[in-house]
Amino acid sequence: MSKEKLKANIWAFVVTAILARLITLGSGNLDRFDAALVGYTFATLFAAFGITRRYALWLQRPPTAMYWTRGWKVFFLLLHPRHIVSNLFRFFQRLFVHYAFNDFIWRRGRMRWLAHWYIMWGCVIAGGITFPLVFGWVHFASEPDNLEWYRVRLFGYPTVAFPIRSLVGFLTFHGLVWSSILVIIGVLLALRRRLHDHGAAALQEFGEDILPLFLLFAISVTGLMLTASYTWMKGYGYDFLAILHALTVIFTLLWLPFGKFFHIFQRSATVGVAFYQDVGKQGEQAKCRRCGEEFASRMHVEDLITVEQQLGYHYEMPDSPVEHYQWICPRCRRVLLGLAQGQLWSGVRDQESGIS
Amino acid sequence: MASQPVLDLPIIEKFGPHRNYSNGLLLESGVEPDKLVKTHCCFCGMQCGIQLKVKDDQVIGFEPWEEFPFNQGMLCPKGVKRYLQGAHPDRLLKAYQRDPDAPAGFRVLAYEDAIQRVAEEIQKVQTTYGPDSFAVFGGASLTTEKAYLLGKFARMGLKTSNIDYNGRLCMVSAAAANKKAFGIDRAANPWADILKAEVIWIAGANIAECFPILTNYIWQARENGAKIIVVDPRITPIARTCDLFLPVKPGRDIALFNGILHLMIEKDWLDHDFIANHTVGFAAVAEHVKEWTPRRTAEVTGIAEGSIRKAAQWWGTAKSSFLMHARGIEHHTHGVQNCLGAINIVLASGRIGREGCGYATITGQGNGQGGREHGQKCDQLPGGRDIENPEHRVHAAKVWGISPDELPRAGVDVYEMFQRIERGEIRGLLNICFNPVVSLPHNAYIKWMLERLKFFVTIDFFMSETARYADIVLPGSLHEEDEGIVTTAEGRVVKINAAVSCPGDARQDWRIIQDIARALGREKGFTFANPREIFEELRVASAGGIADYSGITYEKIEKEMGVFWPCPSEDHPGTPRLFEPGSSNPIAKGNGPFYFPDGKARFNVAPYTPPAEDVDDEFPVILTTGRVVSQYLSGTQTRRIGPLVDQYPEPLIEMHPQLADRHYIKDGDWVRIEGRRGICTLRAKIVTTIRPDTIFVPYHWGGGKSINQVTIAAQDPISKIPEYKVCAVRILRQYGPPANATGLEPQQ
Amino acid sequence: MYLPNQNEFFIDPARCIGCEACVQACSECDTHKGHAMIHLEHVDRGQSTQTVPVVCMHCESPTCAEVCPADAIKKTDDGVVQSARKPRCVACNNCVLACPFGVPKMITDFELMMKCDLCYDRTSAGKKPMCASVCPSGALYFGPRAQIEQLRPRSTPVNKFQFGRQTVATKVHMMAPKGPAKAQYVDVTDAMNETGRGQRISLDILSTMYVSEEQP
Repeated sequence: MSKEKLKANIWAFVVTAILARLITLGSGNLDRFDAALVGYTFATLFAAFGITRRYALWLQRPPTAMYWTRGWKVFFLLLHPRHIVSNLFRFFQRLFVHYAFNDFIWRRGRMRWLAHWYIMWGCVIAGGITFPLVFGWVHFASEPDNLEWYRVRLFGYPTVAFPIRSLVGFLTFHGLVWSSILVIIGVLLALRRRLHDHGAAALQEFGEDILPLFLLFAISVTGLMLTASYTWMKGYGYDFLAILHALTVIFTLLWLPFGKFFHIFQRSATVGVAFYQDVGKQGEQAKCRRCGEEFASRMHVEDLITVEQQLGYHYEMPDSPVEHYQWICPRCRRVLLGLAQGQLWSGVRDQESGIS
Repeated sequence: MASQPVLDLPIIEKFGPHRNYSNGLLLESGVEPDKLVKTHCCFCGMQCGIQLKVKDDQVIGFEPWEEFPFNQGMLCPKGVKRYLQGAHPDRLLKAYQRDPDAPAGFRVLAYEDAIQRVAEEIQKVQTTYGPDSFAVFGGASLTTEKAYLLGKFARMGLKTSNIDYNGRLCMVSAAAANKKAFGIDRAANPWADILKAEVIWIAGANIAECFPILTNYIWQARENGAKIIVVDPRITPIARTCDLFLPVKPGRDIALFNGILHLMIEKDWLDHDFIANHTVGFAAVAEHVKEWTPRRTAEVTGIAEGSIRKAAQWWGTAKSSFLMHARGIEHHTHGVQNCLGAINIVLASGRIGREGCGYATITGQGNGQGGREHGQKCDQLPGGRDIENPEHRVHAAKVWGISPDELPRAGVDVYEMFQRIERGEIRGLLNICFNPVVSLPHNAYIKWMLERLKFFVTIDFFMSETARYADIVLPGSLHEEDEGIVTTAEGRVVKINAAVSCPGDARQDWRIIQDIARALGREKGFTFANPREIFEELRVASAGGIADYSGITYEKIEKEMGVFWPCPSEDHPGTPRLFEPGSSNPIAKGNGPFYFPDGKARFNVAPYTPPAEDVDDEFPVILTTGRVVSQYLSGTQTRRIGPLVDQYPEPLIEMHPQLADRHYIKDGDWVRIEGRRGICTLRAKIVTTIRPDTIFVPYHWGGGKSINQVTIAAQDPISKIPEYKVCAVRILRQYGPPANATGLEPQQ
Repeated sequence: MYLPNQNEFFIDPARCIGCEACVQACSECDTHKGHAMIHLEHVDRGQSTQTVPVVCMHCESPTCAEVCPADAIKKTDDGVVQSARKPRCVACNNCVLACPFGVPKMITDFELMMKCDLCYDRTSAGKKPMCASVCPSGALYFGPRAQIEQLRPRSTPVNKFQFGRQTVATKVHMMAPKGPAKAQYVDVTDAMNETGRGQRISLDILSTMYVSEEQP
C-alpha cells in the first residue's frame, strides 16, 4: 500500500469511527435507534469511509495539497484581528451567494440554475431530515400531558414543541414529500437539458451524468409512493415499496464517493481558493518576463512551479534569464507559438524576398 | 423637401445603428432547425456558399456548406455573423414618412398609403419638370432580377434616363478598361486558375480583409510553388509574407505597369506570337513606355529600382501567371489607365485564355458583376447591351413590348446626377440599396444635394444614413427574405434562396417597385408574380448580348453549383474561362477569342498622370481609404452586428511612426485630419506597416467618423469613379476627443 | 468516441491573416455556444500584421489537467482534452497559468474554466470544428493527414514542442518546413527574442516630404 493510500485509509477509518460513535451517542446507545434503518446506517458509514478516503487521497495530489496548506495559511492570515470582521463578512456573504443561491450557475444559464437549485435544496432538506432521524439524533415524542403535541428531542434533550394537527406539523411530517417534489422537478429539468442540448449530448457519460439523475429520481419517486401508499391506499404494497426505496437510497449512498455527487464535498474548496486569490491580489504580482505585464500573483506562479516540479514537469529554462516558462504570461506563450513557427519558415521563404 | 427632419441623435436613438447580439433562441445549444437553406453570403463579390439555420421563420445561425466548390465551407467573420442582421431591433417593419414633429422625425404610414404618396409625388415632379427630373439609384447588392427590374422600371415605367447605381464607386474603372481591351467586362478566369499560376501579381487588393476566402487560393498556389508579388502602400496580411512586396506610392500604379512593360520589352520577355496574332496596338504602347526606365519608374512610384527589376523578371519569365487587382488601382482619376496598364503587361506576356494564365478584377459587391450587366447602369441595357446602340435598343424594346423610340437615351453617372440635382435638372429621387451619404466622397456636398430634392424616397431594411434624408422610407427586404440570382466576381451565376418571409409591412424589393408602378398606373410590364418570372424575361432580354444568360436556369444553377456566363443555350456548359483559343463569342463570330469584330485584344496607351490632388506644402500627407475585414461598405448591415462592431469598433488612422513622431502623435491619440473639403478627427494607430508618407482610414462609418468628409470627388473621365484612394491632407494632434465622439456608440 | 475518417487538426500560423473568422465561428458551436474559445493574437500590431490563431493542442499528457487541484479536466478516449467539468472546477486558475500554449480561459462570471474542446459535438459526429470549417486562409485545417500532405508538399506536420527542458507532444499538429530544414520539434522558447518575420517598410522618404519645413 502506498503512503498516500495508507494515510487516506487511516483518515477514513478515523472519521467512520467518529461517526459511529456519534450515532451510538446520539441515539442513547441505540435506545432511540430504529432497527429498521440499520441498512441505511451501514450504507452511510460506508459512504463516510469512501468519501473521506477519496477526499484524503485527493488532498494529497500535489496541486491540491498546495492549495490545502496554502488555504490554511491564508485562513490564519485572515483571522488576524485587523481583517477578521471584513473577512467574516465576506465569508458569510460568499456562503450565501455561492452555496445557497448558486450565483455562478445562475450566470451560466437560467434553466441550468433552476435545475440545480431544485435538486440541491431538495437534497439538502431531505438529508437534513433523514440523517439525524436515522442516526437517532433527532426524534419526536408526544408530550406526556398532551398527546396532541409533539416535542422535538435532540440527542435526547427536549427542544421545541408543536401541535400535531397544525400547519407546522403538516409541513414537518411531510418534509420528505416536499423535498422529493423539488428533486423531481430539478431532475426533469436537468434531463430535459441533457436530452436537448447538443453540447451536453456530445460530452455526457452515463455513469457520470445520467445515473446520478436516475438515482435521485428513483429515491424521490419511491419515497413519494410510500407516502401515497400509507396515506391513500391503506398501505398497499408498502413493504415492497419500503425495500425498493431503501435499495435506491443505499445504492446512492454507496455511490456518493465515486461519481458526480463527490462534488458536494469538493466544492468546499472554492472558499479556500477564493481567499487564496484575495491574498494573492494583495501581494506581489508576477511580471511576464517577455512583455513585462503583470499576469498573476507571484505566490501563485511560484506555487505552480513547485507543483509542476512535483508532478515531474521540466519547464525550467536554465540558460535563459526567464528561468522557468511559468514566468511567461499566457498571451506571450500564444504569441511565441506563432513566432517559433515563423522562425522555422524564415530560412525557407525569406531568401526569395526581393525587397531592397 | 429632403432634409433630415430632426438632428442625428433622436433618429439614431430610434432607428440605430444599434448592435445586435445573439440571445434567446440564438444562444441555445439544443435547437433543431426547421430547415437548412443553401444560399450565399449577403456581402462581398466572393459570394461564399452558406447554409442558413432557420427556426420559426427566423435565421438563427449557419452551417458551413462544404460542397460548394468556391469556398468549401469557408467564411469570413462577416459571413459567420450575418445571421444577426435578421430579427434586428432596428429592422424597418413599417413604411415611414418624414415628420419633423414626430419624436424621431418619422411617423409610421400604412404601406399602401406610402406607395400612393410616392406615386403622387413622382407624377407631380415629372409633370412639372419632365420625365428626366426623377432619378433612380440602384445598388450592386441587389439580385440580378431586382437590378434588371429597376432598370426596366426607370426606362419603361418612369421613362427617365437618369438611373445609375453604387457600382459606380466600385469597379467601373476595371469594367471600362476590360471593355476597352477585351470588349467584355468579366473576370477572364475562374479563381481555380490561381492554383496553377507560377507568378501571382496582386495590385491594390487587400485580399485578406476584403476577399478573405481568396487567401486560400493564393496560399495554395504558393504551396504549388508560385511566387506572390503584392503592390500596395500598406503591408496587408497577404503582403507580410509575400515573396516580393512593392510599396507603391498611392496613385502611381500606372507608372509601375509602364515600367514593367518597359523592362519586358528591353529584355524581350514577350510573347511575340500572341501579340502578333491576337492583339492590336502594341507598337504605340511600346513607344509610350520607352520613357519608363526603371530609374524613372522608381522615382515616381517610390519603389526601389531593384524590386521593380525583380518583379519584371519574375513576371516576364513566368510560364503561367495570374494578375488580379481591386479598388486599390481602380479608385483613381486615372483608374481606367491603371487597369489598362495592368492589362498591357498581361497581353504582352500572352498569358491569358489558358489554364493557369489569368487576369481578373476582384469585384467588391455581392452582385457587383451581375448588378452591372442588366441595365441599372446609366448607359446600359440588359445583356450588357449599349443603350445608344440602335440594334440593342430594338432588342430591349421588343422584349419589353414598347417602341425603341420610347426608350430614354443614356443618362449620367451617380455623381453627375448630384450635379444635376444642383442645377435643378433632377428634382425627385428613388433610392434603393445605396447609402451615398456615407459612401460618396466629399459627403457634405451629397447631403446638401439631397436637401435640394423636392421628393426623395428610399427603399431599405434599415434606416441608413441616407434614408434619414428621405420623405418616404419603404421597408424593403433583407437578403434572406427573397430569392434570385447573383453573379460572383469570377462570373459564376449563383442562386440566392429565401430562408424566411418578410416581417411586418416589409416587402420584397421587386414587389415594392411593382406596387409603385401600379400606383402610377403604369403596371404594364410590371406584373411579375415571383423572381423566377423576372429571371425568365431577363434570359430572353440578355440572349445574344455579351452577358448572355439565356441558357441559364434556376435548376441548372442548383444542379451545377453555379453556371459561368456567357451561356447562350440550355445545353451550353457555361464559360468559366474566357478567351480560350477557338472559343466563340457573338461579337468576333469566330475571328478570335476577344470580344471585338476582329477577335483581337487591344493594347491601350496608358499615360501616367498624378492624382487630382497631389500633396504640397500645405497638405503634405497622402490620405488613402479602404476596408477592414469585419465591416462591409457603408456599414448599414455590419455596424448593426454586435460581434463585428466589437472586432473593429471605430475607424483608426493608420500611420507610420516616422510620420507620427514628427507630429508628436502617440498610439491612441486623437488626430485631426484636415483636407480642402472637410475634417475628420479619429484616433491614431501607429504601425510600421504603411508608407511613411501615407495615412490610411477605413470608410465604413457615417457622421463625424466618415472619412468621406475629407476625400475628393474628382472622377476618372472615362469610368466616373471617384478618387477615394488619394487626396492631400495634413494631420494635427488633438488633446481630446471631438464633440461627435461623445454620446455616440462606436458604430453610430 | 472516435474521429471518423482519421481526421486530424493541423495549424499553420504562417498562413493566418488575422480575420477572426475562427473567433466569430467558435462561439457558434454547441459545446460552448456564445463563447469563443480560440485565441487570435497579434504578435505586435505596431510592427507587423502577423497574427497567431491558438486552439487547444490537446497534449498527450496535459499539464492543465495535472495541475488541476479539483481533477476537473478530463481527456476523452480519443485524446481530446475537455473543458473543466462544471461541478468540479473551483476556478483556481491553475490551468490557465500552467498551460504552455496559453489556451484555457477563465470565465470569471461562471467560476469556470472553459477551453477549446475541438467542438466536440461536431467532431464526435464526423463534422469539422467550427474554426477549421470557416478559416479562409487554411491556417486551421481539419482533415485526413494524407490530404494535407498532398495539398502542402512543402510542409510536414510536427506535434512536438519544446519549452525549456520540457517536450510536449500533442494531438494537434503544426506545419513546419520539409526538407533539410525539417525540425523534429518546434522550439517555442527559442523564439523568446524573435520579433516576427515578414516584409518591412523602411523607406526614409519623409525628408523629401517635409522639405520646406526642414530648411533652417
